[in-house]
Amino acid sequence: MVALVIALALFFDFTNGFHDTANAMATPIATGAIKPRTAVALAAVLNLVGAFLSTEVAKTVSGGIIREGSDGIQITPDIIFAGLMGAILWNMITWLKGLPSSSSHALFGGLIGAAIAGIGLHSVNFTSVLQKVLLPAVFAPVIAAIVAYICTRLAYALTARHDPETGSKLTQKRGGFRTGQIFTSSLVALAHGTNDAQKTMGIITLVLIAAGSQAPGTGPQLWVIAACALAIAIGTYSGGWRIIRTMGSGLTEVKPAQGFAAETSTAAAILASSHLGFALSTTHVASGSVIGSGMGRRGTTVRWGTAGKIVIGWLFTLPAAGIVGALTALLVHTGTVGFIIAAVAGTAAVVYMFVASRKSHVGSHNAVEVEEAGQAIRFAKKKAAAVSRGNKSKGGRK
Amino acid sequence: MKWLELFQVAGATLVAAVLITVLYSLGVRLTAIAGDSRTEQPGWVRPLSYACFGLCGIAVLAGLYLIIPYFSK
Repeated sequence: MVALVIALALFFDFTNGFHDTANAMATPIATGAIKPRTAVALAAVLNLVGAFLSTEVAKTVSGGIIREGSDGIQITPDIIFAGLMGAILWNMITWLKGLPSSSSHALFGGLIGAAIAGIGLHSVNFTSVLQKVLLPAVFAPVIAAIVAYICTRLAYALTARHDPETGSKLTQKRGGFRTGQIFTSSLVALAHGTNDAQKTMGIITLVLIAAGSQAPGTGPQLWVIAACALAIAIGTYSGGWRIIRTMGSGLTEVKPAQGFAAETSTAAAILASSHLGFALSTTHVASGSVIGSGMGRRGTTVRWGTAGKIVIGWLFTLPAAGIVGALTALLVHTGTVGFIIAAVAGTAAVVYMFVASRKSHVGSHNAVEVEEAGQAIRFAKKKAAAVSRGNKSKGGRK
Repeated sequence: MKWLELFQVAGATLVAAVLITVLYSLGVRLTAIAGDSRTEQPGWVRPLSYACFGLCGIAVLAGLYLIIPYFSK
């Protein structure tokens, strides 16, 4: 049982990895700053490094939502198994739909649902849920969007070059931002590693303590850290191309300076929040930044339809993962047969979704195809505009 | 509700992101000026652009130093 839960936790870590590659790498891929394959490899390495750097997030994030410990309820591996099931299934569904949704929310939803069904309503600390999960989910995208908006405006204002005599636009030469994007997106990937791999470490440690093979109150063991780091890195490398497509070109058309501003805001928000102990979801922050930067650049439109779909996905994350978690907990509660049914049904659902994803394959090759088409159109527009401007100024001089 | 922490996070995010964006944008702008072939530029433009990028890098490293518990303990 314990071994199975650990395997499931590592699989969740894997889905977390490929679900969240987009947060760091969607914008540099969309602007052509880094080649898609290189980008996911870079993100994978940085996730691996990040997972080793800090193991402090685990406690602050997961602690207190379910009343655990001596005066509370004993969490059994059964409950964790059920919670993970809910989280993994929801992660797979949102990935199939190409929606960036928070993996941590899926995990919390699954655990909460499983705890309610398996132990009872009193096992969940709802004030803590409100404070640590719901309110940050509202504020994270808003903060990120505002900061990204300001940064995008600043970046464009500071690099706008006009001829002092004629007032016409000079070549803007904003190519430098493309190089900058490599660094900022790396920072986001690193921050993601320090944040998200920790959750799985926390879960596995919880299972080990519950099973009695580790002393309560101790931190994650080295092999747990290594396994989690590796799982999230492999997940990241396999690349969630569907979500990268949504984030990179579905929300708004991303240009280098804009992408730079968005990533800087994302990295700053995640690092600030994890340092100051107010946990924000990487996905919420990154989506907010992309939308904010889209509003900040003149001549872009934010596709609010896609943004709305993403927000609806966020609203469903907690309850949907919770329901799956609750159902699994009920099944597991009936005994070994129920447990086997749950395990087989879960595996079947994951396999089914994987097969379904093959029907409309989105890979490194066509996640960027959209962008290249967009670029061709943009260049054509720019040339046309330049020609008309040139004509005008010629006419003015004559 | 931890409003104070929320405002701290929002403030720190704003300050850090704006600082880095401004420095990097200045760097980009100065590089662009230094690369202008039509007009002669004063000699300090290019070093100043490097200084901007350098400061930007230092800001990022300082941020990382704060984040990683191994250093800040």
